[in-house]
Amino acid sequence: MTDAVSMDTDARLETAIPNGAASLESILRTDELLDRPSRPPDYAKENSALVALVGALADHPATILQTLADKVLDVLQADSAGLSLLTRDGNRFYWAAIAGAWGPHIGGGTPRNFGPCGDVLDRNVPMLFTHWERRYPYLGTALPLAEEGLLVPFFVSGKSVGTIWAIAHNSRRKFDREDLRLLESMGRFASAAYQTVDSIEDLKSQITARERAETELRKLTDGLEGQVLLRTEELGRRNSELSEARARLAEEKFWLQRSEAFLSEAQRLSHTGSWHLNLRTGKVAWSQELAAILGPDAEQTKDSDPLFLQRIHPEDRATVAQARAAAFSEKKDFELEYRLLLPGGAIKHVHAVGHCLASEPDTEYIGAVLDITERKRAEEELRRSEAFLAQAQRLSRTGSFSWRVATDEITWSEQLYRIFEFDPQVPVTLASIRARVHPEDLHLVDHIVSWARGGIGDCEYEHRLQMPDGGVKYLHLRVHGVRDEQDRLEYIGAVQDVTQRRLSEQALDKAQTELAHMARVSSLGVLTASIAHEVNQPLAGIINNANTCMRMLAASPANIEGARETARRTIRDANRASDVVTRLRTLFGKKDVSAEPVDLNEIAQEVIALSLAQMQRNRVVLRTELGDGLPRITGDRVQLQQVILNLLLNASDAMSGIDDRPRTLVVRTVADTGGGAQLSVQDAGVGLEPQALGRLFEAFYTTKAGGMGIGLSVSRSIIERHHGRLWATPNDGPGATFSFSLPCTAEAAADGSPAFRIAAVTDAEHVMRSL
Amino acid sequence: MVVRPLVSIVDDDESVRESLPDLLAELGYAAETFASAEEFLASDCIDRTRCLILDMAMPGMSGPDLQRELTRRRRAIPIVYITAYGDDMVRPHLLARGATECLFKPFSDTALRDALSSACLGR
Repeated sequence: MTDAVSMDTDARLETAIPNGAASLESILRTDELLDRPSRPPDYAKENSALVALVGALADHPATILQTLADKVLDVLQADSAGLSLLTRDGNRFYWAAIAGAWGPHIGGGTPRNFGPCGDVLDRNVPMLFTHWERRYPYLGTALPLAEEGLLVPFFVSGKSVGTIWAIAHNSRRKFDREDLRLLESMGRFASAAYQTVDSIEDLKSQITARERAETELRKLTDGLEGQVLLRTEELGRRNSELSEARARLAEEKFWLQRSEAFLSEAQRLSHTGSWHLNLRTGKVAWSQELAAILGPDAEQTKDSDPLFLQRIHPEDRATVAQARAAAFSEKKDFELEYRLLLPGGAIKHVHAVGHCLASEPDTEYIGAVLDITERKRAEEELRRSEAFLAQAQRLSRTGSFSWRVATDEITWSEQLYRIFEFDPQVPVTLASIRARVHPEDLHLVDHIVSWARGGIGDCEYEHRLQMPDGGVKYLHLRVHGVRDEQDRLEYIGAVQDVTQRRLSEQALDKAQTELAHMARVSSLGVLTASIAHEVNQPLAGIINNANTCMRMLAASPANIEGARETARRTIRDANRASDVVTRLRTLFGKKDVSAEPVDLNEIAQEVIALSLAQMQRNRVVLRTELGDGLPRITGDRVQLQQVILNLLLNASDAMSGIDDRPRTLVVRTVADTGGGAQLSVQDAGVGLEPQALGRLFEAFYTTKAGGMGIGLSVSRSIIERHHGRLWATPNDGPGATFSFSLPCTAEAAADGSPAFRIAAVTDAEHVMRSL
Repeated sequence: MVVRPLVSIVDDDESVRESLPDLLAELGYAAETFASAEEFLASDCIDRTRCLILDMAMPGMSGPDLQRELTRRRRAIPIVYITAYGDDMVRPHLLARGATECLFKPFSDTALRDALSSACLGR
């Protein structure tokens, strides 16, 4: 640096911080700076200043410091601005460039330690001063005096070399935070400018010598220049090739990194780790995911095959080691499934594959380890829930199935095989199922199957199986139709073996029926005894009186008066007996017979509906063939229904012991030739003995173990009261047919015959079923 | 005059109580009627009664109840049971219990006469 300052002037003042001078703190206003209202940042102006400076630096490096001072003055709207630079010896500042009011002081300066610049460099922070001449008298000569001065240090290579500053000479202008920001920004530029100036100074001092040396050199190199040019060109070309290659490499590296990232992500997502093992060197490399699979601590440690083996579950380790060793020795691929036991006790299931890359002299393997713990767990869950389901099905005797209608593909649960007693190894077909269905229920099953093929729906039904050993099973089915995602119809169903329940129900029903029958028979016995008692009492009196009367008349002389008295009592007792009968009639008598229009089909259907449950319990297959256009008859609806019910129950009873043929019962109605209506009940039961035919309708004639022989007798009475006819005929095949016919104009005139009135006792179903 | 043996009739049925005494008179017996076993036990006829015609089923004390009571009182009166419940099972049972006869209502005058004869003469 050029020492442009007059040393003479300065020498006098070098030691001049006089006694009583103001303290440094008293002239500092730095703290206020941040509190003062600040104008908004003007980046546009700042930018244009910096751009101008950069331009100046390029075009006029020698005047850059002055340009900087001008720009600071302008941007901060200061009264003076400039740069102070330390001289090379570090003892003084000299004012390298100044703009504004202090312009004439350019080239002046202060000793290092006797001015604000020194303070700023000491503290190495921006500082705001006011009236610094109160501490530094030397500056009292620099006019106009500074009201405020803002100084920012600047550095080159981390070493402070000077300050950049702005001054307000009156209170018009108070520096603020924005001024500080701008000054610091320009201060950073100042360091670049400083270096330039430095270089310029150096160049100026060196340039003469260099010019001389270059002249010499040029002389020497003139001959070589051509070669140098060629070499330079070649060098340039090589350089550009090299840089192209480098660019390619960089691009490849980028893609490699990308695909590595993808692979790593894919491994993480698929729980698949990979490894690479060199058999000769024993060196192993794991993917990040493999380390993660092997446990959190494995990610911290170095990849090592022993550690890998150590992580294998002790129970599996020997097997895995053996299998691997075998594969290694034969240079074969391997595939294994085993467990890992991680520190902390966690167990993982893995599927591992290894692939041999035989390349002399090294044998290398690459492989993958797939964490299948979740899958194993899911499989285990599935197995467990399947086991539960199977157990539940076994306990509830419920099997399940699915049936794909289009392909007739049938899937059966284990329990269903058990119910049907099928071999689980043999695929189930509709035909094999059909072969098991009870012959009497085949039509039902066929009907359901054809219904199910016809369209989607749900249904619930029961049918029986005929087992090979002759046993019968009762099945209850619920079937639900669904369509799969390809719109194919499939039925899923539950099949419950309700044999036990049905047999219990039947046994219970039978017991109840027998009990009811016993109760009725015994109550009938009581009734009979009671009637006998009531009638016998007056009869006893009648006979006694009649005997007395006879004796009195036979005496001699005949006791006429006594005889008259006993005859009178006889009559009275006879009346009493008659009263007993009347009372009985009132007690048991039916309401008066009504005559109303009756549709024979309709009343038959009502009775069938009522007795259907009973028929089903007795496993009677009931068929109806009700004719059209029957003539309407007139009669007592309830009494006629009693007759039909009696015939149905008789038919059912007649078939109760029949097991070698269907218990078929046919109820048929036709218009008969005489213009009336006819109903017949045909059974396939034990049939009629020829000698029995004549007595069938007599009261108290019965062929049934528990029967009283009243039902048919009463039935015939009722039909005859309707001016109809009731008869029985043996069938061509097994069983018998009971028929009645009624004239269409039958007048149900209640003729009141006592025989009929007593026979037609009350409550149709109860009494008639008990008889 | 021959003293007619006294036959006591215990029956809740009025027809029997009305008709029997005349018939018994024709057969040569004296008769007293009682509508219940209790009434008979309360009467002074017990010791005079040569034969008891006793209905089996009555409200209150039944025929067999009365028979047991008389046995307890050591009054051995021959008993002819009469009953409107014509049950074959009853008769041998009653005979086994010491009854002279068991007649089912209605019974004939000769059956009654035979029964009374064996009751009054047999003892």
